[in-house]
Amino acid sequence: MNLRRQLLLVSLLTLVLPWAGCEFIRETESALRQSQQQMLSGTASAVAESLERYPEEFPVEPGGKHTPADQLYGHRLETAPLIDGYVNDWPLPAESLRQIGGADGPIRFVLGLHGRHLYLYAAVTDNEVVYASPSTIAVDDGQDSADRVVLVSANPPMASESLMFAAEAPGPVIAWFQSSFGFGPEATVQAHWQDVAGGYQVEARIPMNLLGTHLGINVVNAASEREAGIRSTSFVGQVPGPFVTISPDLTSLAEKLVQPGTRMLITDRYGWRIAAVGTPGTTMQPSQGAVSNWLRIAYKALVEPGTEPAFAEPDPSGRERQPYIATALDGRTSESWFRSLESGKAIVAVAEPVSGNGSTIGAVVLQQGTDAILSLRNEGLARLMNVTIVATLLVAAALLGYATWLSRRIRRLSGAAEEAVEGAAIRTALPSADAADEIGDLSRSFSHVLGQLADYNDYLRSLASRLSHELRTPLAIVTSSLENLEHEGLEGAPADYTARARDGADRLRRILNAMSEASRVEELMEHGEPEAFDLESVVSPTVDAYRDVYPERRFEFDCTATTTTMRGSPELLIQMLDKLVDNAADFSANGDVIRISLESGDAGLVLGVHNPGPPLPERMRSQLFDSMVSVRSDGSDRHLGLGLYVAKLIAEGHGGRITAENADDGVRFSVILPVGDTKLAQVGRK
Amino acid sequence: MTKRIAIVEDEAAIRDNYAAAFRREGYAVDAYESRAPALEAFASRLPDLVVIDINLKDDVEGGFELCRQLRAQSADLPIIFLTARDSEFDAVSGLRLGADDYLTKDISLPHLMARIAALFRRLDAMQKPQAESGRITRGSLEIDTDRMTVQWRGIPVGLTLTEFWLVHAMARYPGHVKNRQQLMDAAQAVLDDNTITSHVKRIRRKFQAIDADFGCIETVYGMGYRWIAD
Repeated sequence: MNLRRQLLLVSLLTLVLPWAGCEFIRETESALRQSQQQMLSGTASAVAESLERYPEEFPVEPGGKHTPADQLYGHRLETAPLIDGYVNDWPLPAESLRQIGGADGPIRFVLGLHGRHLYLYAAVTDNEVVYASPSTIAVDDGQDSADRVVLVSANPPMASESLMFAAEAPGPVIAWFQSSFGFGPEATVQAHWQDVAGGYQVEARIPMNLLGTHLGINVVNAASEREAGIRSTSFVGQVPGPFVTISPDLTSLAEKLVQPGTRMLITDRYGWRIAAVGTPGTTMQPSQGAVSNWLRIAYKALVEPGTEPAFAEPDPSGRERQPYIATALDGRTSESWFRSLESGKAIVAVAEPVSGNGSTIGAVVLQQGTDAILSLRNEGLARLMNVTIVATLLVAAALLGYATWLSRRIRRLSGAAEEAVEGAAIRTALPSADAADEIGDLSRSFSHVLGQLADYNDYLRSLASRLSHELRTPLAIVTSSLENLEHEGLEGAPADYTARARDGADRLRRILNAMSEASRVEELMEHGEPEAFDLESVVSPTVDAYRDVYPERRFEFDCTATTTTMRGSPELLIQMLDKLVDNAADFSANGDVIRISLESGDAGLVLGVHNPGPPLPERMRSQLFDSMVSVRSDGSDRHLGLGLYVAKLIAEGHGGRITAENADDGVRFSVILPVGDTKLAQVGRK
Repeated sequence: MTKRIAIVEDEAAIRDNYAAAFRREGYAVDAYESRAPALEAFASRLPDLVVIDINLKDDVEGGFELCRQLRAQSADLPIIFLTARDSEFDAVSGLRLGADDYLTKDISLPHLMARIAALFRRLDAMQKPQAESGRITRGSLEIDTDRMTVQWRGIPVGLTLTEFWLVHAMARYPGHVKNRQQLMDAAQAVLDDNTITSHVKRIRRKFQAIDADFGCIETVYGMGYRWIAD
């Protein structure tokens, strides 16, 4: 991973800023919610306490046998429906209809209150509608077999009464009222029978004063006129359960107590809603227009955990069955958080039991939206998000730019450091050397190291010639002394010893000459004047001469170059060829063919010397042409590893280069010489 | 009359060795270890030949300075540089100052003696009337083997002893290739290839200074050099 990616990753850390902001907001949110919940809880318990003074407003079940399933609920209707057999003008959601099983399928019905009238709507599934005849209704007091809907009313302990709706034909129907006073049509009741596919619908308007406190519905499905019909009912037993509906007194009381933005529900001990006032403020959408979409997405992702259940509106059936209300009806205060599906905002709901006579007679439910907190939060969040995201982007961009700049400097430095040692001479000037930072330090220490390396290289390069120079004087002492000694007329053993010493001194002298050869070649190239000559006509006779010098080797010369004219010093090139041929002869065996070739290459003339023999050791390849490096393992004193170094000096002095590679069961040295105008250049030393 | 050789050399062992060798050959020897005492002695009496080391202790180029001053005193005095410095540059500088020969210290004593003898011979020949017998003529080239001088088209060519011997060796048998070893033997010196190359180059240049079209010394690549009669 390069420096740029690393710093880019590091710049991601700036994302901690918005995260921390969100955490802060979440904390604030949590605290605010807590306090809001506590406030609401306080209000709820105060309301519950005040409601305890009106126990009579809470319906009491005298018998105690009935379950809430046996009870009917009267919805408060804002407008009066038209009595036409259709439910679509009822101001209620479709879920408000209660369903019971019938003989031919489900029976759905609903009760509503408007003014002083009870409204009834029932939709009955009936495969074959059996109409009543006036005679059967009148004679049979409703006991005969005709399809009909019966509203049972009771005022315990008095006997039940019932209001029967049966049709002689679709359209307005007469309601028959049966009570202890007898059986007859009831004129105050308005009803309408509507046949529909698969059944019929009945809608009726009944004055409240006609009815008791307990209400139930029976539906009779008759198969034919002469058979008794099958009765379906909304309650168990003879007497229906108590009728529950909105209490006007409690509603007006709640209206006084409820605060804006809060919904108050009051239920009886079974959860039936007997008062519902206000809204939890979720319908308002304050400051939402100012919040952009992406911000809302970010907000939802970062701040809102979104784990709350969807907010349930007051139950359309009229009975609140949510767990927190059920808990309150068990006598414990409970609260819950919801999320409005409509606006997506949080809603806190608190349910508080209402006690009366030592037991729970109902519950107060308060629901409040978190509009105030939300808008506050959104504004702060918007600012925070904008600022931190801009800051993050700026920091990331700055870090990226900085990293690019930094890595470019480092790359330049490393490139320069690598290049510095590639040429013949080590260059110590590196980029960023003037910088005051660590890269500058690095550059300077690189320069320093390169400088030392260059000094050391120079030292190595000049070591041979300096050594030979320094050794020449003591050698002269030795040889001149020996020569003087020889004139002392030595005989026998002393003469032998002197002769051996002379031999040794001669060898030493030859070695010293070889050691200083490189510097003399450099001098020659420095002062030499290049001349134009034909390389082939120089090399060709030289190869002939090699045949005499190395009689045990065979030589082949092959010239494929088209033009062999070049500028330079033929003597030096021959000297170079001497070194290469000497090297080739050393590494080949008697009878081997040493091939010398002259070819045209891309960069100029290629002078090649190939000899069969052992391959070059890989580790020595790069140092082969360095001063005092020899791959010979026999350690012969004739070779100080200067021959190839001299060859390299001459090649480079002609603007060319020399390479060695293993090829064709042997080793091939190639000297690439440019054919253009070449000035003999001084190489290596300054 | 005994010839007097002065040797200026800071290295006592070499100085003594050379002095002993010279004396054995019958020369009188004055040995000096630095420039000042040598100059002092030369002021009163010049020797017949001077052998100088360039590097005289702390006086790094004292030999060059001494040579210049001696040449100022006498134009004929044979001066030989005998030094450990084998660079081309030093050799050129030394010869330009008027030295008759520039030798490195790896020369053997017999070779040195041969050169000294040759220089004395030349000196003697200069003082005698010119004898016809010691002359070789090859076209425009005239070689006086006694005086060890060379003329090209009648104009003297200022060659050092080594250069003279090289020209002599080549021109004696025009057309014959002389290889390096032969040239080395002729020059009474142990020279490496590069030194011979430099010598030949210098000889050519000296002839070309007189005759720009000079081309009688031919390089036979891989073999050596030969003289082509013009």
